[in-house]
Amino acid sequence: MTGTQPVDFDVIIVGSGPAGVSAAFPLVDAGLRVLMVDGGHGARLVPPTGQYLNVRNQDIGNYDWMIGQNFHALSQADAVSPKLRVPTHAAVFEGFVSANRIVADNFVAVGSLAPGGLSNAWGCGVARMTDKELASFPLKPSEMYTSYAAVAKRIGVSGGYCDDLSDFFGLDEWSHGTVPIDNLQNSMLMRYTRSRSALMQSGFQLGRARVAVLTTPQTQTDRQACNLCGTCLWGCERRALYSATDDLQRLHGRQGFFYRPGFLVEQVESQGNSVAISGVGTDGAGVLRARRVLLAAGTLASTRLALQAINHRKLVAMQSCPTAAFMLWLPRHLGRRHEPAFGLGQLSFTLDLGADIQAFGSLFNTTGIPVSEFARHVPLGKRYGVDLLASLLTSCVVGNLFLPGSLSNVSLQLDEDDQLLIWGGYSAEVEMLMKEARHKLRNSFIKLGALLMPISFKVGRPGTDIHYAASLPMSAKPVLGQTDQFGELMGTAGIHVVDGASLSYLPAKSHTLTIMANAERIATHVATNMVLIDN
Amino acid sequence: MRIAITGATGYIGQRLIHAARLAGHEVLALSRRPVIEAGVAWQFFELANATPLALPSDIDAVLHLAAETRNAAGLDLTEQKAAQLLIDAAASVRAAFVFMSSQTACADAPTAYGRIKWKIERATIEAGGLVIRPGQVYGGPEHGLFGVLCTVVRNLPVLPAFVPAPAVQPVHVDDLVVALLACLAREPSSIISVAAPEGISLTAFLRAIARGRTSRCPVFIPVPVLLLRVTARLLGSGLSRKLGLERLLSLFALQHMNTAGDLQHLALMLRPLSSGMPRSGRGRRELIREGRVLLTYVLRTKPAGALVQRYARAVETLRINQPLQLPELVLKAPALLALLDGSRNIDTNFRCELDWRINAAVMLAEASPQGASRFLDIDNTGSCFRGTVLIVRACMMELSRRFIRFLLWPVLSRVGRKGVYW
Ligand SMILES: Cc1cc2nc3c(=O)[nH]c(=O)nc-3n(C[C@H](O)[C@H](O)[C@H](O)COP(=O)(O)OP(=O)(O)OC[C@H]3O[C@@H](n4cnc5c(N)ncnc54)[C@H](O)[C@@H]3O)c2cc1C
Repeated sequence: MTGTQPVDFDVIIVGSGPAGVSAAFPLVDAGLRVLMVDGGHGARLVPPTGQYLNVRNQDIGNYDWMIGQNFHALSQADAVSPKLRVPTHAAVFEGFVSANRIVADNFVAVGSLAPGGLSNAWGCGVARMTDKELASFPLKPSEMYTSYAAVAKRIGVSGGYCDDLSDFFGLDEWSHGTVPIDNLQNSMLMRYTRSRSALMQSGFQLGRARVAVLTTPQTQTDRQACNLCGTCLWGCERRALYSATDDLQRLHGRQGFFYRPGFLVEQVESQGNSVAISGVGTDGAGVLRARRVLLAAGTLASTRLALQAINHRKLVAMQSCPTAAFMLWLPRHLGRRHEPAFGLGQLSFTLDLGADIQAFGSLFNTTGIPVSEFARHVPLGKRYGVDLLASLLTSCVVGNLFLPGSLSNVSLQLDEDDQLLIWGGYSAEVEMLMKEARHKLRNSFIKLGALLMPISFKVGRPGTDIHYAASLPMSAKPVLGQTDQFGELMGTAGIHVVDGASLSYLPAKSHTLTIMANAERIATHVATNMVLIDN
Repeated sequence: MRIAITGATGYIGQRLIHAARLAGHEVLALSRRPVIEAGVAWQFFELANATPLALPSDIDAVLHLAAETRNAAGLDLTEQKAAQLLIDAAASVRAAFVFMSSQTACADAPTAYGRIKWKIERATIEAGGLVIRPGQVYGGPEHGLFGVLCTVVRNLPVLPAFVPAPAVQPVHVDDLVVALLACLAREPSSIISVAAPEGISLTAFLRAIARGRTSRCPVFIPVPVLLLRVTARLLGSGLSRKLGLERLLSLFALQHMNTAGDLQHLALMLRPLSSGMPRSGRGRRELIREGRVLLTYVLRTKPAGALVQRYARAVETLRINQPLQLPELVLKAPALLALLDGSRNIDTNFRCELDWRINAAVMLAEASPQGASRFLDIDNTGSCFRGTVLIVRACMMELSRRFIRFLLWPVLSRVGRKGVYW
């Protein structure tokens, strides 16, 4: 049943990020021959080891990982996120935009060519979509349930802790203990319990963040538990934070799994009963064939490859969450010393805005973030800015805020040179909503003993959320430029989109776990079908 | 953008590639010799061998810098033809075309060089391209005509001071390069002149070379221009071309260029000759001094030598405009930098560059052992009183900074203005 052309593999997966690895497991489990390719190149610098405060004080290679021998942090001075300046993540982001022929206007386009993709640098926030949120997906919510369970158990999720966000995250049944909370955020949580009913009435709910971090070692792999070393921003040397490279390691050595890093896919084409991917590898250009191809190159790259495969050159819409960042000051904690703390989300909140719009955000400890990241935003002379921040930051907490992706206004188009053009923007009501959010957050946090610093609330440019989705949405009645309930691209055969591009809807909450669960669900279906045909 | 550059290995080409890479462009070098540099692709190109060429379809702009400067006869037509082929190649991939011409370009220029440039200019404009006319290019490595002048100044026992002295309009090679990249974004007009708006005498220019590049104090002897003209007449055009007399005479025929408008359109501020001429070794010393000032400002204490070296290396690697011309007073008392830091009054270009550098100093300082103790507030005893005092102090200092800056406004607004400090 291999069609006219001899095929090299049963399935080729393009991309080794969270989506790619999640799709690989069911296929390999079914005994299929699976090739995974990614555009990875270049070695990564190792993140610092040891307690962050010790490493900083004892100057253990600080310059190398904070600035980089080639001045990476300085050359990225204008980049939108501290993560993009971190030398240890340089290889994660490098070269993606030009290699994938992406041209963006008023949109910050970020992607990865590295093994493991963006998950090398992600914030590890995880959540499950509620049945209501899955309503626009052409499937029964129960079909996602087993996939959510499989993925959550595999990657390890912290936060099994019954609180006001338990239903919002929907992960407690599969999660293990929480990461210890720092003093500042603990005091906020304590106060929340006191003024809970008033806050909930105003549409504000607070709880622990659910994070893909281990609090107990994982026995099947050599991932260790988080020890609050606080180097999260630079990468987790203990591998307590989940990265798709962990799964890549598990897949290695599995019967039927083949991996080819450094192969940049330039075109995907359905040919009769097989699909061909062509691209350039470390040993030159080449074509590889399989019965089916799963695209998991990250939303932007997969969209370009898919539009090219069906020669679709009309505008398509994409969703991306409007985002903002802010700083809170807890005056009662003024003068505190820095304490070792977990560097990713500790508390999360939801905020109801107007009818039916729910915003989501998380709060972070400031210890592990360079002061220069804040100094650039403080309207003081730098000398006094550093004076101020050195004393103030220990009593501050930073936060982010996301709005649902439907409030963005992003169009994509494949041009005649096969470049993917992106025009970014927010819909008109975002400005009002952000104002309302700022107002409500100020009033809510003050009840928790935290002041929203006056000018600190900043709305990010379109694309800075790096939550890109729904450009080739799954639909019950797909048209050209959409995908069916198994992510299979309309207008061609054998090409499935299994990353963010095929999500039908993008809420404000973290979406990667849903991408992974959806990829696992699609791959399970593909595997079952292929095995059925073979027998 | 993806930019193709001819003459990529030349005086201006090398600097252009460096700047284009820093600005995030991708470069395709078109030259005889391969260019081996990270992020630069190479394609064979030969000016003297005019054959049609195909450019990659994703090229956005072609910058034609290659020129035949040897005085070999018979090349006139080839050079023109090569330019036309390039114009066609650019058009076929819908790329913008920019031609690096010369101040000597003129329909009836005294040299063939000037006449060819003029013809290529016409062809460029006809095809909707842009023409750049640079003044006397100087600075950086000693190549091109600037290189010749440096050699002359270094080796001749006496230098000629022509009477009447011809005027040159200098432009630093790195400023020219910035203009080249800027004109792609702005397209002010079809012919763009890039040089100092006011000319200086050739004698003053040679003296600046002597001061900046040699330790000599040259002796000038007056040479009447009339004498040269007579000699050239007597020798005949063939011989005077061979001896370079023709090229020399073309200097006296230079038309003054009105550059102020174009510079304004390009938002370009040229550096003064005095800061552009010194060789980079001296620039290094100044960068070290600058680094010490900025880092002291940030750290509130004398920075370690290794940290200052890092600062200097970072600026050399990442920035085009080298040492910042800080007021003497600030160099002596780094705390005074607070008056310039983030000030709205000072010159915009200067301010942007200063912002970048102070920000870089903050990041570099933070990554050092000295920075760890200052930025993480190691002395902190955990007392709320101490915290309050420090925060109040920082705010008071900021307020007084703003107040003093307000009082000193008339003085500060001069900082960074053209020719004053930049
Ligand atoms: C700083 C940051 C913080 C984040 N925080 C969170 C968070 O807290 N919660 C959350 O849910 N999400 C977060 N995200 C988003 C999350 O990282 C992504 O949603 C997720 O990684 C997407 O997975 P993916 O597998 O679809 O794509 P990616 O992770 O982008 O992986 C793409 C893969 O495809 C390969 N590839 C790309 N192009 C090609 C090509 N042409 N040929 C061959 N291979 C190719 C790459 O090599 C890579 O292996 C964050 C992202 C960033 C950058």
